[in-house]
Amino acid sequence: MTESELLNRIKSNPADFSELFRLYYKPIFGYVLRRTANFDDTADITADTFFKAFKHINNFSYKGISIKVWLYRIATNEVNLYLRQKKRHNSIFESIGTEDKDHFKDYFHEDRKEFEIELQKHDQFLIVLKELKTLPIKYQEVISFKYFEGKENKEIAEILLIKEGTLKSLISRGLEKLRKKCNQI
Amino acid sequence: MEKEEFEEKLIQMTKPEVNQLKHQDMLAKAISNAKDKTVLSLWWLIIPLYIISMLIMKSLFMPNTTLSSSIHDLAIRQRFVAYTFFLILPIIFILINTISIRKVYVLSGSPKSVSFLKSVWLNVLIIFFSILILIVYSI
Repeated sequence: MTESELLNRIKSNPADFSELFRLYYKPIFGYVLRRTANFDDTADITADTFFKAFKHINNFSYKGISIKVWLYRIATNEVNLYLRQKKRHNSIFESIGTEDKDHFKDYFHEDRKEFEIELQKHDQFLIVLKELKTLPIKYQEVISFKYFEGKENKEIAEILLIKEGTLKSLISRGLEKLRKKCNQI
Repeated sequence: MEKEEFEEKLIQMTKPEVNQLKHQDMLAKAISNAKDKTVLSLWWLIIPLYIISMLIMKSLFMPNTTLSSSIHDLAIRQRFVAYTFFLILPIIFILINTISIRKVYVLSGSPKSVSFLKSVWLNVLIIFFSILILIVYSI
């Protein structure tokens, strides 16, 4: 099924939004996690990202831009907002009504435990991320997409709505700044 | 460490990965069920608004006629229409849209935010017009 077909299905039946979840929840969750290194905030931000996408899916017109790029764009805005405010993300996640709230909480706590263990396995990454977070947001997003997510310049430029030339310059300057900071450790 | 070496280190460095998320399916279901089609078509509200604006015009341009008397006349001549469009429909709209706003309020978690207002503005507008119709009808 193509993206435009999926979009049409969601527009006619909102319950089909779960298909979008199945395809993109994990990649977006991973991206947010690698930018925040905090499970609870990641869960909040990712839930908000999908909730916003769900609310605005009817306005999303398929004109060459993929749903994936659109979701990364929303997630990036949400992460940047969270990083600028430097406070716990206020989200729908905790208050969301599920049919079986206790069951949901159990699953959520199990996921949190697993991710705390997973994060501890990557000491070096956490050190680099800590230094990266001290840089301006514009460098954080490009470095994260390029080196943590392994994305191509074309896709990064599309997500961030910037020209590839500008992106290369941001990556180069950001990398140099991060290198200096990491060398000081 | 040189720039190229550092760049290579960043690429090779292990990063936290997402393999399994147990809460994912339940969250997907909750979000997918969140959006009810509670905002009925504005067209249904346009009918009573149109009738009321006609009555206002009538009271303005016809001598010895007031809005209240025009509505009263209509209520006598077309009792069913008057009840349906000026009483039952606005009450239904108020109830449905209030429930809808309440639902978005619970889900948004930040009711003061701009995004919350953006998502409920149509509901608020419909409630406003519904109340307006009720007030005009009850005068």
